[in-house]
Amino acid sequence: MRALKLITSDIRFQYKYGFYLLYAVFTVFYIFLLRLIPEEWKKTVVAVLIYSDPAAMGLFFMGAIILLEKSQRVLDSIAVSPVKVGEYIAAKVASLGFIGVLVGVIIAMTAKTGNLLLTLCGVILASVLFSLLGIIIAVKIKSLNQFVIATVPFLLILTAFPVLTLFYDFGEYVVLHPGVSAIRLIIGGEDNNAVHILVLLFWIILAWMICHSAVKKAFLALGGVKL
Amino acid sequence: MIKVDNISFSYTSKPFIENMSFSVAKGEIFGFLGPSGAGKSTLQKILTGLILNYTGSATVGDTEVKHRRNSFYENIGVDFEFPSLYEKLSARQNLEFFGSLYTKAIRKTDTLLEAVGLHNDGNKKVGEFSKGMKSRLNFIKALIHNPDILFLDEPTSGLDPANARTMKNIILEEKRRGTTVILTTHNMQDATELCDRVAFIVDGKIKALDSPHRLIMSKGAVKLVYSYIENGSERTSECFLKETAQDKKLGELIKTGKILTIHSCEPTLSDIFMQVTGRELE
Repeated sequence: MRALKLITSDIRFQYKYGFYLLYAVFTVFYIFLLRLIPEEWKKTVVAVLIYSDPAAMGLFFMGAIILLEKSQRVLDSIAVSPVKVGEYIAAKVASLGFIGVLVGVIIAMTAKTGNLLLTLCGVILASVLFSLLGIIIAVKIKSLNQFVIATVPFLLILTAFPVLTLFYDFGEYVVLHPGVSAIRLIIGGEDNNAVHILVLLFWIILAWMICHSAVKKAFLALGGVKL
Repeated sequence: MIKVDNISFSYTSKPFIENMSFSVAKGEIFGFLGPSGAGKSTLQKILTGLILNYTGSATVGDTEVKHRRNSFYENIGVDFEFPSLYEKLSARQNLEFFGSLYTKAIRKTDTLLEAVGLHNDGNKKVGEFSKGMKSRLNFIKALIHNPDILFLDEPTSGLDPANARTMKNIILEEKRRGTTVILTTHNMQDATELCDRVAFIVDGKIKALDSPHRLIMSKGAVKLVYSYIENGSERTSECFLKETAQDKKLGELIKTGKILTIHSCEPTLSDIFMQVTGRELE
């Protein structure tokens, strides 16, 4: 129940800070852009677009969201409230996931390029993973510049490499990479969909455990001590 | 309500809080007084469960703080020295949001806003508030879930006298309701007026612990100040109250009826703090 209240509150904050307006503009722009793409390229371009923006938005925006909470010291009050670390993380992941999935599905439905259910599945799982990574980085840094620098390696490994795998063959084990599995689900499915989902779930569980530990440490660090 | 038994804590290898023991009864206002860096805030962080790796025992309610669960915070309200509020939300939305984090029934936001004179600003964004307005909102945010124990860190800091008076009246009202209040401050006037007992904290140790009145009186530093005319001009003299009988000048002035004014002069808690600890507060 409290987690639901946190999710709705986070969605309200994101709305007030203009996330929804921003992504309404982006969505219109992307749909317009896709109209200009030749039909034989559309499927790949849609997958790259959805994967690298709405699905990955948690990695970009979590820094701004958490830094804002840090700068307004609201994390201090949350740390001395009954909110559990897991509830805090879940609310952040779900609220950003909501807008990411919404945008991703609108783009996918407009482009009509593949299996919508698999695309939806890929966007949700990728969004959760990116948001968890965003939180892990955001709780450890002190400025937006630090966040941008810290996310660069993740962006290269998690977005640039999976996109390359759409054009070059890196071997069969490449599906163990979460980004590769996600982009292959988003593209509308092929063989090994179950493997892709399992791979993503494995990485999400691992990221959740690291994220939980990082947020717990960050909450306790508000007491002025790093454990 | 709170029992601290022989706790120690350190940020480094050097002890910061050392062998501290005290207890606070239900409905008591207990003050932590000390200069910056004395260990007051660290002690508050231990009691609010933000620092868990202390040694000794710190029990708040029925909970050993180092073993606290999240439900521990259902009955604790914390007013930090600096506002912790969402600036894009209105005052009312902030109270509603933080109130929604608790399972117990929350107080009426309008009543709280009115209590601190913010009833006409409830729908205004906090980002548009002055520093004093944010402090007042932050204070009532700590009360929203009707806590049994209230931790207040410099609650009147940055407030004008009228608003400081309002806040102090609310703190005394909370005490009447049975709320236990821990007040961290270096404002001796607030401590003297509000606290049932105070602990002087310096270098991570309690140097004295008693009621403000007893601390003041126990040092026997109450003075008698009197004025009189001598050689055509007004003069002032003083003696310790307990040495009144030995002051020959005063005795002579009383006999001859030449005293102009006479009054007792108590030291402030600040004077006693300096006398006991050898340190100034500010």
